[in-house]
Amino acid sequence: MASLRELQASFAAALRDPDAACAVLPTENLSIYRNNSSHAFRAALEIGFPVLRRRVGEDYFRQLIHLYRLRFPSRSGDLHWAGRDFSAFLLEHLHGTEYAWLADLTRLEWSCEQSRIASVLPSIGVEVLARFAPEQLEHLVFALQPSLRLQASDFPVFSVWRANQTDNAPPVDQSIGPECGLIRTRADGLEVRPLAPSLFSYLSALAAGAPLGEAITTSGLDQEGLVSALGFVFSENLATAISVESKPPA
Amino acid sequence: MPRLESRGVPRGPVPARAGIGLRAVHHQAIVTDRPDVGWIEAHTENYFHEGGAAVRALERARSNYPLSLHGVGLGLGSADGVDREHLARVKRAIARFEPALVSEHACWGHSGGEFFNDLLPLPYTEEAVEVLSRQVGEAQDALGTRLLIENVSAYVTFEHSSLHEWEFLAAVAGISGCGLLLDVNNVYVSSKNLGLDARAFIAGLPPDSVAEIHLAGHARNGSVLIDDHGSQVCEEVWQLYRQAIARFGALPTLIEWDTHIPALETLVAESQRADRILGELRGLAA
Repeated sequence: MASLRELQASFAAALRDPDAACAVLPTENLSIYRNNSSHAFRAALEIGFPVLRRRVGEDYFRQLIHLYRLRFPSRSGDLHWAGRDFSAFLLEHLHGTEYAWLADLTRLEWSCEQSRIASVLPSIGVEVLARFAPEQLEHLVFALQPSLRLQASDFPVFSVWRANQTDNAPPVDQSIGPECGLIRTRADGLEVRPLAPSLFSYLSALAAGAPLGEAITTSGLDQEGLVSALGFVFSENLATAISVESKPPA
Repeated sequence: MPRLESRGVPRGPVPARAGIGLRAVHHQAIVTDRPDVGWIEAHTENYFHEGGAAVRALERARSNYPLSLHGVGLGLGSADGVDREHLARVKRAIARFEPALVSEHACWGHSGGEFFNDLLPLPYTEEAVEVLSRQVGEAQDALGTRLLIENVSAYVTFEHSSLHEWEFLAAVAGISGCGLLLDVNNVYVSSKNLGLDARAFIAGLPPDSVAEIHLAGHARNGSVLIDDHGSQVCEEVWQLYRQAIARFGALPTLIEWDTHIPALETLVAESQRADRILGELRGLAA
């Protein structure tokens, strides 16, 4: 008699391929499970990628999901993760086409999904800086809100995302060119916001754990820009903790 | 295999009343209106994350109602084993929300690394009893709580099955020490789809094994009943429910409604019907 593992493998094969043999009755009812499984996967992506769905239309969106699932089937009992590789799939699938920017749009929507389910921590105020000696300032390391995501693209995906929060939005002029920005969750909801490249670079360095001095150097901020960027971190409630960089012994 | 009863794990304080599922469209109303229901149920996988609107809603609702966490993703009958990462997330959700009941399904869900995100039916064989019992036991040990395992609705049956489904479930409960969550609508749907005897199913379960009941609506697609949780409980299922509580006693009873979700008042009205039937049983017993 077939083992449980063999029975489940044959059932799984029949879910992927209607012509595969499976020792169940009535076999035609296997289509119910096949439909349930594909519907659940598709529904998870419909929730996670509404802007992509609007931009490409229902038929093409379903076609993309079908191909994506063949390439990247679900690897978790929690369908929240079903969209994790969607951007990577589109990058591969649309490579060299005029629609390559959809991969970055999808990456932005996945960032939104991740931001929405992250915790929102109490932020600290700029007065915390007074606790540190002036010579320590360049060594300060910032902990930023867990919901903060930073993304850069060769395409104007922030503009596309913002323009497509409703149905039937007109196409965005792709000649706008590269955009970068932040995604974060506030108490009152999600925020998707383009940033100037220098501020983006500075925040990216801080988010990667670089000390303040290194973040300033990396971003090329001048004195005025530095004051503004540091002010941004506090005025936008992005900082949740500050510590002094622990240097390895010389 | 350790049996949880012997380690003194307490049963939760979920009352033997009707409860309702916490669904996103009702989050605000359940918090502000505080409907008169005995308890609430939440799908465990929706609350795995650190933050988000769903988590905040459950935290608020949890302060007013006893909670049952009902999982759909562990696939405890999968021959490939239990997903340890998923199990760890369930454990974190239990620690965070302190449910009085924790339940999962007598099903499998993954094979060869692919998850099908559905409650797939098991063959009712001695080997499947051993696999499901062992993995329910492992999950109970990892989670530190007794699980209630629910019978699933079925659209096919395995040619290899050698046991009745109720014999299968009774054996799993006996070996693993888990309780059973009897989904009466699932019994009805499976019986109609596969030509089985629903009343014999209920009569065949050990009287002390069932700790919770689910009721739901279903849809019809040609000759097949689909367990879609998208309508009121049908009269035949209410009749089976009366049979069930006559056998198993007054138990926490959930009204499941997951698609075509109605206004909260409609859901609460359906739960009140279950409460009235539970009240009749108590009246008979008095």
